[in-house]
Amino acid sequence: MISPANILADIADYMPFMKRPAPRFISESGNRIYGIVAEYADPHAVTVAAEQFRDAGYTRWDVYSPFPIHGMEGHMGIKRTILPVAAFGAAVTGVLAALALQYFTNDIDYQFVVQGKPTNAWEPFIPVTFELGVLLTAFTCIGGMLMLNGLPRWNHPLFSSERFLKVSDDRLIIAVEAADANFDPDATRRLLEESGGTNIELIEDDD
Amino acid sequence: MSSIHPDQITAERLAGLRDAPGDYVGPAGGADGSLIEDPAVRAPLVLNDRSFAEVTETVCSYAECGPPKAWLGLITITSLIAAVGTGMILYLIITGVGVWGLNNQVDWAWDITNFVFWIGIGHAGTLISAILCLLKQKWRTAVNRSAEAMTIFAVVCAGIFPGIHVGRVWFAWMLFPIPNSNGIWPNFRSPLLWDVFAVSTYATVSLLFWYMGMIPDLATLRDRAHLRMLQGRERRLTLPMPVGKDIVLPFVPSAERVAAYIYGFLALGWRFSSRHWHRYEAAYLILAGISTPLVLSVHSIVSFDFATSILPGWHTTIFPPYFVAGAVFGGFAMVLFLLIPCRQVMPGFKDLLTLRHLENMAKILLLTGMMVGFAYSMEFFIAWYGGNEFEWSVFINNRANPAEAPYWWAYWTMIGCNVLSPQIFWFRKLRQNPLAIWIVAGFVTVGMWFERFVIIVTSLHRAFLPGEWHMFFPTWVDILTFVGSCGIFATLFLLFLKYLPVFAMAELKAVMPQADPHGGGHGHDPVASVAGGASAGGASASKGVGP
Amino acid sequence: MAQMSARPAAISDDAYNARLEKIASSPEMREDNITLPYAGAMKLSGAMGVVGILGLLLVVIGAFVYNPKHALAAFEVGLFTVTAASLGSLFLVMIWNMMIAGWHVTIRRHFENAASLLPFCCLGLGAVVLIELWGPGREGSGVLLQWLYAEKQGTFLVEHKAGYLNPLFLGVRWVIYTVVWSFLALRLRALSREQDRTGDRWLSRKARFMSGWGLLITALTTAFAAFDFLMSMDYRFFSTMWGVYFFAISALAAVSLASLVFAGIRSMGRLTGVVTDEHFHDLGKLVFAFTCFWAYIAFGQYFLIWYSNIPEETYYFIHRTTGDWKPLFVALTFAHFVVPFVLLVSRIPKRSTLALGVAGVYMLVLTVADLVWIIRPMVYLGAEGAEAGPGMMGWWLDAAGILGVLGIYGALLIRQTASAPLIPTKDPMLHEAMAHKNYV
Repeated sequence: MISPANILADIADYMPFMKRPAPRFISESGNRIYGIVAEYADPHAVTVAAEQFRDAGYTRWDVYSPFPIHGMEGHMGIKRTILPVAAFGAAVTGVLAALALQYFTNDIDYQFVVQGKPTNAWEPFIPVTFELGVLLTAFTCIGGMLMLNGLPRWNHPLFSSERFLKVSDDRLIIAVEAADANFDPDATRRLLEESGGTNIELIEDDD
Repeated sequence: MSSIHPDQITAERLAGLRDAPGDYVGPAGGADGSLIEDPAVRAPLVLNDRSFAEVTETVCSYAECGPPKAWLGLITITSLIAAVGTGMILYLIITGVGVWGLNNQVDWAWDITNFVFWIGIGHAGTLISAILCLLKQKWRTAVNRSAEAMTIFAVVCAGIFPGIHVGRVWFAWMLFPIPNSNGIWPNFRSPLLWDVFAVSTYATVSLLFWYMGMIPDLATLRDRAHLRMLQGRERRLTLPMPVGKDIVLPFVPSAERVAAYIYGFLALGWRFSSRHWHRYEAAYLILAGISTPLVLSVHSIVSFDFATSILPGWHTTIFPPYFVAGAVFGGFAMVLFLLIPCRQVMPGFKDLLTLRHLENMAKILLLTGMMVGFAYSMEFFIAWYGGNEFEWSVFINNRANPAEAPYWWAYWTMIGCNVLSPQIFWFRKLRQNPLAIWIVAGFVTVGMWFERFVIIVTSLHRAFLPGEWHMFFPTWVDILTFVGSCGIFATLFLLFLKYLPVFAMAELKAVMPQADPHGGGHGHDPVASVAGGASAGGASASKGVGP
Repeated sequence: MAQMSARPAAISDDAYNARLEKIASSPEMREDNITLPYAGAMKLSGAMGVVGILGLLLVVIGAFVYNPKHALAAFEVGLFTVTAASLGSLFLVMIWNMMIAGWHVTIRRHFENAASLLPFCCLGLGAVVLIELWGPGREGSGVLLQWLYAEKQGTFLVEHKAGYLNPLFLGVRWVIYTVVWSFLALRLRALSREQDRTGDRWLSRKARFMSGWGLLITALTTAFAAFDFLMSMDYRFFSTMWGVYFFAISALAAVSLASLVFAGIRSMGRLTGVVTDEHFHDLGKLVFAFTCFWAYIAFGQYFLIWYSNIPEETYYFIHRTTGDWKPLFVALTFAHFVVPFVLLVSRIPKRSTLALGVAGVYMLVLTVADLVWIIRPMVYLGAEGAEAGPGMMGWWLDAAGILGVLGIYGALLIRQTASAPLIPTKDPMLHEAMAHKNYV
């Protein structure tokens, strides 16, 4: 999934001025092909199909569903996200930053005695330390989630399909990207059909 | 209902003209199965076997139709009240805190009472989302969105009071870690500074949590608007008139275009990818994990404002968990107080927010009510046990004893509303009755305001020397500021009801039986799926009960 | 059966029984997977019992030859560790019943077993009451409970509190605790075992109803028991948080003990496919959560007293946070919170049998350390409240007391565990627990 070529291609999506690599496949109308999508009847059917694509060695493909389907990571062969590690790092950073801020301002830079409390007591510094740890973790969590997902990205070739717009309601769709090394317009379409996909549609990337 | 045309069957079902397929006709649990008492069967989370499309339609149609007249009327009233509140705030800033009824002895009164009241209410949302998520309580999906929204709005109201009660608000920057002109930093050993960090962190994290949960649902609204545009079903924006016809606005884009742009912008281009869902769920779980201690910490820190002092009646070690329990209690009461009328008025709402959900929340009210009752009794017991006569005097002579305490009525209102009124939920009939729950929720809301009033004012109004004794009397500014904050809250909540997805659609769909890839008769599971068992069993067990 | 059809059934008895049979016939439910090997368990139980009896004998000897106060304190540290574990188990069983939880079903039987040892814990508490009132240590009475000391009688606080702190009322309260805890624990276990035999799903509803009022009175009795036996050792001290603090200790002890027990059972090859990594994950979450909860409550109590700095409260912490007890205080802060927090925050150790078992032992050791920190400073506290050192020479007595009580408790617990299936075999939510998965 993460290879220099893929990363470059993802970045190019955001940078219209960057020259994109030449398309491997071109549709009849002359546009770059984004990929092929197919609809599936229910969550069970789509998980079975997902396993077939996973086993066929596809990497740039995805299941689109109006809600997270439980266990889909396993069916698709998605590795666990590193988000928790990042969140933990953020928590530690937040805690250390808060302690540094409080010790520096109240104990090192300008000491003043209030209520007869020692300026270096750890007890009163706990609340702010905790809050900053949580705040940084929350930012990292959401920011990291969006960044890893490549969002925000307001437009996408898939949105050109009217069927795809109904995913947000109740449709289940598998999309295989043309950027996948295994992609072949005919073979991929056949696999979509064999795995139970209906309403198969070619998606063009008309930039 | 919706001004757009949903498919005919859905429209008729939502209008109550037609039954959903597979209506539950079991012998027990109410006509719709929402109150199944059978330990072997879980009550359905969504009634009437709704399909995904129907759930989408129900939730989205609130946001997509033109503003109903009743809603316009209500929001006119609440925003007028909010305007009065805003006027009071300006008046206070221009004139000074002397316009409140504060005096030498009672230097915190309604301001901090209102602050703690609102911030307490602001706890239920994150609690429902975070703690119930960690506890795998699936029924939370019915109420989490509106409860989180309520959290944000309550925190907005709460933030007003500490902001303005300092008097000279233009010195508010001193709260932030910036050295003043003498090079002195803020005092991080002061509970009031912890409050700044706690409340602002809480507001930020709650907002992020709410927003993140809403991203997929905003994307649904975006896609629906987009689809209607593609299909040429666009609605002109109109200027609503109290009587007669609405005026169609010329030269503005259609409602669909506006919706597609605004919801589309907010949805950040979410496209329901499973790879995205995976990270999204991980992030959501971590957020739930950190929000849970955050909820606890915020109200604990609010309680530190009082408990770190040496004032009898304020200094007691149980305050942190007691404030948290009270906040959850008050927050759930407010959720119920708002959602029960919505449930009656808004079509389709009852299928998603079932009687069982209400019953569960009534049980939580009973539980948390008992927790605050536990804390009240511990405080009272230790006030005697500790042998400190001033502490005891606060409890007896300032609060409880009608012969001695001028505020006895406030204390007993608090006990009556918070401890006694939820006791009716020991009876199943009453905790399954929306009206009874609504009335108790109202009592609890009042009682929780009085709890804060009792803690703050009755502890302050009599110092150690009788010469320092002063009563507190609110002025009209005090009263109108509080009423105004209620107006602000109600206005924001009404806006939410109209323009945002009131239910967490994606989460709701994920807990519906047809979302389970392993159930639904595919034979993975050693036991037939629970929902299937319910309807099949219901039919065969209906002894003597007609369909 | 006639009685059952009068219930508001949503599923017919036939359909339900078919479901039970389907579960019972699954390979995970074979006899040797869901029961302990009886002979082996008895052997282990016997060995632990011998350790326990030897330990207690040593304590009795120590009471006569060394120091009766120290001996009783050592016994009480052990006793409150196991009482906490049993009470916490009772709380959790009732909470799960109330919440109609699904995933916990396959691990609930252990909690019922641990709770059902509460009568024995209450016997221990009764012994403490007897020793305090008529013990051999001092003329008159009072060993660790200072308000019973002859020289304290007539002082202001003892007089003031006499309405609550008096021998008769203490005895009455002990009877109340014993009755309430024993009744709830034994009744809930009996309901669960009866369900094993009859498959009557309505017993779950009965247990749920009992758990509702049971939680209320258990919360109250736990708080007052903590006041009576722990807080009032130093009769001057008071803290409204104390009951919640003891509850935090209890909940943590209960889930730590459960981690240890299930790690043991799983390493014997039992409960395969019944208590899975998923259950360990959730059990680990509970250990983690209650560690944090303990930290929150313990810090809240200490912090408010530290911050307000009122002498009538702070003296309690002064001799526990300075001088000879300071190392333990610092160690508790780090070892009881920081270390387990960092180690258990990840999902990997929570899903590992070995790691969570070790974590359970570790947290139990720290629960003991917490109780040592509460109880032991009272032994060598001078009459004026001045600390006279921790008395490390008597460490063998501490070890004997703690191991003695834990040994006997372990022996009884293993007996209980071996005497019935390891899971409630006909619980109506069993299928949910067996299919339980943590997505995300």
